[in-house]
Amino acid sequence: MLMKPYPVVSWLGGSALLFVAAAVLLPLAGPSALDWGHVWQRQEPDWSILTNLRLSRTLLGLFAGGALALAGSLFQSMLRDALATPYTLGVSTAASLGAVIAIAFDWHMVAGVVGIWAGALTGAGLILLVVMGAATRGGQLSSSSLLLAGIAINSVCAALILLVHGLTGMSQSFAISRWLIGGLDAIERPTLLIYVAAVVGTGLLIVRQGRQWNLLAVGEAWAATRGAQVRRALVQGYLAGSILAAATVALTGPIGFVGLVVPHLLRARLGGDDRLLMPCAFLLGGVLLASCDALGRVLLAPAEIPAGAITAFIGGPHLIWVVRRGGTR
Amino acid sequence: MRSPVLRVRNVAWRASTVPVLEHVSFDVAPGELVAVMGRNGAGKSTLLDIIAGLRSPTEGAVILAERPLDEWAAIARARMLAHLPQSLRADLSMRAEALVLMGRYAHAARWFESDEDRQVAQEAMQRCECLEFRRRTLATLSGGERQRVFLAACLAQQGRVLLLDEPATFLDVDQQLQCFSVLRAEAERGTACLVVTHDVNLALTFCTRVIILAERGVARDLATESALDDPAWLHVFSQRLTVDQGASRPWVRYE
Repeated sequence: MLMKPYPVVSWLGGSALLFVAAAVLLPLAGPSALDWGHVWQRQEPDWSILTNLRLSRTLLGLFAGGALALAGSLFQSMLRDALATPYTLGVSTAASLGAVIAIAFDWHMVAGVVGIWAGALTGAGLILLVVMGAATRGGQLSSSSLLLAGIAINSVCAALILLVHGLTGMSQSFAISRWLIGGLDAIERPTLLIYVAAVVGTGLLIVRQGRQWNLLAVGEAWAATRGAQVRRALVQGYLAGSILAAATVALTGPIGFVGLVVPHLLRARLGGDDRLLMPCAFLLGGVLLASCDALGRVLLAPAEIPAGAITAFIGGPHLIWVVRRGGTR
Repeated sequence: MRSPVLRVRNVAWRASTVPVLEHVSFDVAPGELVAVMGRNGAGKSTLLDIIAGLRSPTEGAVILAERPLDEWAAIARARMLAHLPQSLRADLSMRAEALVLMGRYAHAARWFESDEDRQVAQEAMQRCECLEFRRRTLATLSGGERQRVFLAACLAQQGRVLLLDEPATFLDVDQQLQCFSVLRAEAERGTACLVVTHDVNLALTFCTRVIILAERGVARDLATESALDDPAWLHVFSQRLTVDQGASRPWVRYE
């Protein structure tokens, strides 16, 4: 008898356990030592530092890392491209462009929303339509046309970021550079809740369709003649991945490599079944980013290394390794 | 002859304005194993894609089990018809058994396949002689082994029509024979099979019927037994083919 798919329970359970452990333990790490007696009695400032600053930052890291890793594995399957990341299809670069413009023009608040977030989401939304329009030909949408349109738009947005960056003054320029590295900051609870709800909702929609992504990973004709609706799947996947990437970039800046490294490492261990790979990538991607951030808080304390820089230190060498092996897929 | 499960009715297909196929009509009944042959660019793959629903014909219609193809929902169509594309990526990181289970996509409503799905997939792997590497990753299999896994996935789909686009082209001789034996057995179970091939002898040995595409249409549509009586059709492929009537059974020779 063919094997029941995989050690689903142990992998999912283990990943979930690590996720929860990270949420509990990582807030304990930080540049200033907390007085546990004060925390226990909910005395300030220790209580606020733990719950408002460190816990919210850890949760943001967990869900942002999860969103990026999930979007990465989605795009790798959907586009049949081992090097696809949440940033491949242009949406995140467009979100960055929106945010950079908001920083350059000092838009602190736009219509009651933090200017950077508003800029990022607007940029992402506009580019979504542009890429989708550019990739559709005669009512047909294919992953290769999506990939080409995405890469083209990506480079245009990257060029515009450089242009805006070059034209701004000293202080904005510094803020832009810092934002473009990507990092985690404590955010207010209502924002965090909205973000977590969006990520979990979108994530569940993606993971539920795991069999569909498996089929697309083999090929579009293959998926279509096994009974999948390819066009609908591509639109769904593109929209869902873009929501994850844009919302995350708006809050954290373009944190690199989590979306590439985590799915790759897991695929080598677990095989390419997205039904198991995707939830594990989400949970462990979150653990990786939150851990990188905690590391950045304590490594050179009291100075902070942004999480985006740490993930790049890990991700860069990994990318070289992947390329030298000729891709793991 | 049993009533046809597949009817191709006056199908035409144009690539922008260049006609590739015109006025193509034929029926296929359950149990037939039809070789679709023709020179490169004759429109064999295009025809198979149209029957599989991957392209819409510019004119005409394909009728699957008395219903026009475009009225079938994708999932219901997949329970009726399986298609093996000409080339699939070789560097897949999933296991062979996971790929074969994909053939059950249209049957399994749940997130993971049922025991029945697994049973069907296992039987398909046995018939294609690829059960022994069910746990191996596809990227580690040889081309012939991989092709057997893909074929098993198509059998596991349990359709009434099976379309195969050059399933044996990259296989060694023994694997080619094995592949066509599996197809012959599948046809004998009542499946209507259409297989694109360039190997004339393989087609004449295993297939029940040969459809030859040339000049944008069906040039010949012959039962295999009568195909050797009038070997003029061989010249569609090359002037250098002749039938060796001296052998115990007629055989196509290269000159």
